[in-house]
This record gives sequence, structure tokens and C-alpha cells, in this order.
Amino acid sequence: MNILETKEVSHDFRGLWALRNVNLQIEKGERHAIIGPNGAGKTTLFNVITGTYVPSRGKVFFKGKDVTKAKPHDMVRLGMGRSFQITSTFPRLTAFENIRMAVLSKRGIRFNLFQKVDKMKSITEETDAILKRINLDGERDLPASALSYGKNRSLEISMALSTDPEIVMLDEPTAGMSRDETHTAVELVRRLTEGKTTVIIEHDMDVVFSLADRITVLHHGEILAVGAPKEIGENQAVKDAYLGEMEV
Amino acid sequence: MNKKTKWILWGVFLIFLIVYPLVFGIYYTNVFVTFTIAALFSVSVNMLLGFTGFLSFGHAMFFGAGAYGTAIALAHIKGLPLLISVFIGFMSAVLLALILAPLVVRLSVTAFAMIHMAFGMLMYTLALKLRNITGGEDGIGGFPIPSFGVPGIFSIDMTDPTNFYYFAMAIIGFTLWILWFITKTPFGCLMVGIRDNAKRIDYLGFKLPQTKGVVYLIAGGCCGIAGSIFALFQNLISAYELHIMHSFTPIMMIMVGGVGSYFGPILGAGIFTMLGELTTRYTERVELVIGLILIAVIMYFPLGCIGFYHYLKTKYLKRKAA
Repeated sequence: MNILETKEVSHDFRGLWALRNVNLQIEKGERHAIIGPNGAGKTTLFNVITGTYVPSRGKVFFKGKDVTKAKPHDMVRLGMGRSFQITSTFPRLTAFENIRMAVLSKRGIRFNLFQKVDKMKSITEETDAILKRINLDGERDLPASALSYGKNRSLEISMALSTDPEIVMLDEPTAGMSRDETHTAVELVRRLTEGKTTVIIEHDMDVVFSLADRITVLHHGEILAVGAPKEIGENQAVKDAYLGEMEV
Repeated sequence: MNKKTKWILWGVFLIFLIVYPLVFGIYYTNVFVTFTIAALFSVSVNMLLGFTGFLSFGHAMFFGAGAYGTAIALAHIKGLPLLISVFIGFMSAVLLALILAPLVVRLSVTAFAMIHMAFGMLMYTLALKLRNITGGEDGIGGFPIPSFGVPGIFSIDMTDPTNFYYFAMAIIGFTLWILWFITKTPFGCLMVGIRDNAKRIDYLGFKLPQTKGVVYLIAGGCCGIAGSIFALFQNLISAYELHIMHSFTPIMMIMVGGVGSYFGPILGAGIFTMLGELTTRYTERVELVIGLILIAVIMYFPLGCIGFYHYLKTKYLKRKAA
């Protein structure tokens, strides 16, 4: 069953068609990677799916529901989590407070003006458990801006996951990371997304081929190929458009 | 600091508040009331500026709404109880906030600041022109100040400065406590989150405009309470309270005291009141002194006094560790 589907989605940035008739199908439970050269429309596709933009044409379906016009918070409430290409955490809040925000959202606590948050024990416990799971318990009380780049990145990924979504959209989780950090981040993604549908934009081919069950290749806003990593690696069109550029 | 010392300190503070008018006399009692009104005003504005990240150049209109609400109600309704008159002031500010909220919560930070300047000036002009309601430049004065009490059982005369001092302390203290409490709730976390990264808040499943709207109502309403107490205190309210300069005052207090901390604006209000008292002894150019101090603060400690304190503290801790 497809948990997420786009039907003939096109998006027009004042004359530049960033997406053209994209039919993306994400199956429930799979790890799906979206790859493609710079400017291929990957992030635009993410923005259309997660509610940042309403596509110029076409429709988006999530869990069988038409969510073409849904706003980001609607998508999150329906069960979608997202991380950004440029790290998007709360810089002045501590790692603990960052994660706690996601935990509050997951519990549906939005307009509670009557209880001190520090006294809500189960929330503190859950947040601490998450921090421990992502090895950030040592940095619990540091502001996110004081964390290393890699750790801030993991913080964001786990924030996206802490709302307990059914599907996670990760926009280049390893962008700008060192070799070691990439390795840690990939392990983190693998561990945290166990059993969840994951859509991931990635540039690092090692990461893609080790993580993904299926790959979609975008090129000039169009889908060039869809398939298992092996098929994609052998696909001539993909090699010409993209993989060929990165001859080892 | 453990819980016990905290309670003892609060107890000492409470006793200080109680004996203050007996020790310092009527003049300084009135100065203290002026200070607490300014403190509540700037703490309310800081709920928007420091906690949620929205600068408003027009919050005097909420202060004015509260003040005019109370004054007009008292001038026209005979035998209106004191607390109800404060409540009317509060509600008129909330009403004004409710009218503006749907528009302003969708604006960017800059547009938010500018549109408040425009609305603030509009309210000021309205107060000047609608002479038969607001009294124009003369304002509304000499309205009866009701006594506090239960009819037939007891009644406390509120025209007595000491009695009024206790009443103002109770209302303002209670409102300040509520605002402080709100910053500690999950909703308070959300406010700080919007300041830090509004996009992330949206992508965590929180509705941005609605959340901002609630903060806006709270901040507006509490400015209204400050205005209402001000009207009762002065027994006179004029269009000046709506003037844009009066919107800048809390912002300056917040900047000097410390933006983003709850107690910063209170400290700033205290500093401004004291400076005003001290400088008027020597010169009438109070604004000059305050302006120079504001420039110095912005240049040397952009995070205000509280920020400077934290800076010194981390420096001290570092030296201790080394």
C-alpha cells in the first residue's frame, strides 16, 4: 500500500518549472531515497509534500487523504515528521528543551497555561529517554547553538522523529558532515527509523545505497527512474545524468 | 538556592512591601506605585518582545484602552465596584487585542512593529478627536474612585494613598505572578520556540497564528490592567498615555533591564523610575539622561543589566574553573 503518493505534481516558480508531472509513490514501511543533481527539484518536492507550498498542479495524497492544500502543522498532526537541509533547531534552547518541544507536540499539549512544564514528570522522563537514545544526554543542558554541527544535526533529526510520525522526511541529514559524523548520523537514522516509512534526500551515494530500499532519481524536475539500489546503479540514463558525474 | 531560602526571601520581600509606605511616606509610596505600573506595562510588552520575539511600537494603545475603559466606566456608571472597574479596563484592552489579532498575528516581525505604530497613532488621534467620549486633550479626570469592600460589611477608602498602594500591589503583584507562571508552562515553551525558530514550531505541529494570538491577548490584557491601575491612581487620563512616546517607554525599560528575561523589565522599570527621581532634582532634561544611558547600554551590554550579570557570572565561573 502506498502511504504517500503524488499525482502529476508540477510546481512553477514564476516561469521555472521546478517539478514536472512527478508521480512519486512511497510504500508503507520502506526507506525511500530521492537523489538527483543540484537543482533537480528534490527539496521543492519535499516542500510540496510537507505543506510549505501548494503545488501549481497535481495532487498529494497521504494515507489515502488528499493533503494538497494542507499546512505544515496539519501534516505533522496527520503523522509526518520533517528535518531540513539547513539545520533547524531552537538555537537558544537547550538540547533538552528542543526535544521537549517535540514531546509536547506528540502529546497534543498546545495551550496548557495551567501547569508548570518542569513538574510534568512523564514529559521530562520521555525527553530524557530520547536524549539518551541519541547519545546527547551529556549535552542535555547546553543550548543547541553550542552543540557541534553533527550533534545539532542529530538533534534535529530526532526532533523530527520525536513527534512519533508514521513517515519521516529527511532532507539531506548528512549535509556538511565529516566522514565520522556521517557514519554516526547514518547509524542514528537507521536505528531511529526502524519500522517507520522514511523518505530521505541524500547526496552521499554510499549512504543512499546502504540505507535505501528503493530510490527515485529526479532530474530537471522529472522522475528519471525508480527502483531498487541495484537497478538504479545499473541504469544507463541515471549514469548519464547523475552517477556518471561522480566517477570514482 | 533551596526552596526554604527562597520562601524566606519572598517573605522578607512581602514584609518590605507591607512596611514600605509606613517607612517612606506618601511621596515615595506614590513613586513606588508609578514604578510597579511601569513594571507591569513593560513585563506585558516583554511577553511579546522578549519571549515571543515580536516588537510592538504601539502597546500604549492597550495601556490607554485599559485606562480609558476604567475611567469612562467610572465616570458614567454610578456605584461601580472597584474590582469591576479594573476588570472593565482589562476587558477593553482584550477586546482591542481581539479585533487586531486576526490581522497582526500573520505579519512578519517588521510589519508587526510598523502596523502597531500606525494603529497606535490612530488611537491617539481618535482619543484627541472624539472629544465627547474621551475629553480630547483635557482627558477624563475627577471621576469618582470607588471604595474597596463589600457593601454593608466593610469599606476601604481608595483615595488614601496608602490604601491605594496596597490595592495596587495586590492587583499588579497577582498579574505579574500570572505572567511569570505562564512563562513556565508548556505554552511558555511554545512562546520561546516561536522566538527562536517559528518555522520549526510549525513543523512540529503547532498552529502559529493561533499561538501568537493567545500571547497577544495576554500581553494586551495585562497592559490594560496596568493602564486601569494608572487611571485609578492618577484620577486623570489624557491622550498622552496613548502617544507613541509612551509606547517606547516599556521598550527602553526592557532594553536596559534585559530582554528575554522575565525580571529584566522590572529591573529596567526600577532603574528608569529611580533615574527620573534623581535627575529631576537637578535638571528637567530627564529624557537626555535616559537617552544617554540607553545608548551606553545598547553599545556595551546589548542584553541589558540581566545580560551583563550573566556575562559576569560566566566569567567568574570560568576563572574559578581555571
